[in-house]
Amino acid sequence: MTRTASDAVIDTTTRRRLGFGFWVSVGWLFLIIGVAVLAPWLPIADPNETGYGGRLDGPGWAAWFGTDTNGRDMFSRTIWGARVSLTVGFIAIVDGILIGGTLGLIAGYFRGAADRVISFVFFALLSFPGLVLALLIIASLGSSLMVVSMTLGILSIAPVGRLARAATLTFAEREFVQAARVLGSTHRRIMVRELLPNVMIPMSALALLGMAITIVAEGGLAFLGLSVSDGFSWGKMILLGSAPRTLRNGPWVAMMPIGAMFLTVLALNFAGDRLRQYLDVRELAF
Amino acid sequence: MIRFLARRLVALFAVLLAVTALAFGSLNVLGDPLFNVVGFIASVDCDAVLAGEIEDISGQTAGGRGDCEVIQAARKEHRLDRALPVRYVLWLGDIVRGDFGTSFKNEMPVRQVLADKLPKSILLMTVAEVIGIVIAVPWAIVAAYRANRRFDRASTVTSFGLLAVPNFAMGIILFYFFVVRWQIFPSRFEDTNLAARLKSMVLPGLTLGLPLAATYQRLLRTDLITTLQEDFIQMARAKGMTDRWVMFRHALRPSLFSLVTVFGISTAGLIGGALVVEQIFSIPGIGRAVVEAVIRDDFPIVLGSVVVIATGFVVINFFVDIIYSLIDPRVRRDD
Repeated sequence: MTRTASDAVIDTTTRRRLGFGFWVSVGWLFLIIGVAVLAPWLPIADPNETGYGGRLDGPGWAAWFGTDTNGRDMFSRTIWGARVSLTVGFIAIVDGILIGGTLGLIAGYFRGAADRVISFVFFALLSFPGLVLALLIIASLGSSLMVVSMTLGILSIAPVGRLARAATLTFAEREFVQAARVLGSTHRRIMVRELLPNVMIPMSALALLGMAITIVAEGGLAFLGLSVSDGFSWGKMILLGSAPRTLRNGPWVAMMPIGAMFLTVLALNFAGDRLRQYLDVRELAF
Repeated sequence: MIRFLARRLVALFAVLLAVTALAFGSLNVLGDPLFNVVGFIASVDCDAVLAGEIEDISGQTAGGRGDCEVIQAARKEHRLDRALPVRYVLWLGDIVRGDFGTSFKNEMPVRQVLADKLPKSILLMTVAEVIGIVIAVPWAIVAAYRANRRFDRASTVTSFGLLAVPNFAMGIILFYFFVVRWQIFPSRFEDTNLAARLKSMVLPGLTLGLPLAATYQRLLRTDLITTLQEDFIQMARAKGMTDRWVMFRHALRPSLFSLVTVFGISTAGLIGGALVVEQIFSIPGIGRAVVEAVIRDDFPIVLGSVVVIATGFVVINFFVDIIYSLIDPRVRRDD
């Protein structure tokens, strides 16, 4: 997904305010993370209890989001699905930032040969069809939560790394870095104490955008038959609801998780985009 | 310029080498090619059987001389007796000569499979890009013409919304309304004639094209707004030219740069990136072929597809770089 450069006109007036929409987005994210974490203790139906309601009951008082073909409560399933989807998104982007961020920092700080090699690796990774790589890894290593998350993390190394490199480049020749160098700081100290805090700022905006992309990618994998095998994610729920007969007789089975995913992705995108404008990040990796 | 081109070409080939090596290596390391060719008898210890250390039980169960002959023939045919790097180089040589090998599963030449699937994916890509551009350009022009007014604000919200709909969700929503409820479009790909093919491509094309339209609209709108603040636009206005003339004759062309770049990247991505959409709308394109081949461990098809997809991606990006440098000579200097 590509995002626009900072909007020239809007920027001058609103750049230094995060705005109302940002806080609404953050509010939604806290809400969804909260219910996902607290799902086992919330007074909701067991997501795997077949026959909680009738088959394909429409949304109503008994089951707010309706029931699926096995009479399972869709409201409860949507909340439990959030656990898997959000976990995958979080682990993947943390992975990407740890590996890609480190590589990008090294490339941007040392320049020269290290930079050329690392930039080349990033470009090769970007040229490789991402979902195919994910397919290959998951098809042979199995689709446990960890494997899926790690694989999606590998896919985010290159975009994250490129941003980290670009951000490092802009800081590497600044006075405070030169001062540290003159004072005899080691490379490691300069990178960790001087550069990292500055590079982490634009990365925080990217983390939100990246998490949205990863959550969507996990859903895409579900459609290719490679969803997380332990538990069910929103993607897998949408896949189950998208069988033509289910779709005709109970569209809510697919539409409820679609709605949840849409709002979450929208919130992540919006919050990330506002944060990016607020922090004035010009380099675009995604 | 020639040096710039030469450098880009070298980088292009280096990236292709890296991508093919990554694909070839990961397939051979993550999977077991021998097992995929001959099946469960791959675990037979042939050296021991042929040396007479293990009893020859051919004709009864796995593990006999007959099985070993099959295994050795397969080893030889697929060069599994060579070291991995050697195999890679030999395989690459075949690819360069246009020999993509044969499928492990049904002995079809990979070239034929690709030649059958690729046109469908390219048709889908074309429909998606046409939809994206046709929607985005007028939309961006109107939005930029009255920047920050009501229409522009509404379209910012709309494009944000469109970008937050995952492509499979978009596919399911369109499928629900246009196929299940209103039954306007067919539920799977119909290959009878061009009209039927195009009709089958409308929904998948929209699924991919609407988010593209949103992306392009955001890019072009931003660039147009920036251009409209330039001095030469003021000059044109001062000379009394109409808004329409200024917009189309003066502002539009210099604002197309980022659109061209992203257009190239997304086109390249779509050659093989429509895996999920092809799956939902049952289009027998290259994306589906890859998915099926990965699941059935049909290495030659996976490798052939990856080569085609990656080459498409790299070559299109190469041309985008060139177009970009033709438009903006500064690109040639730094690098």
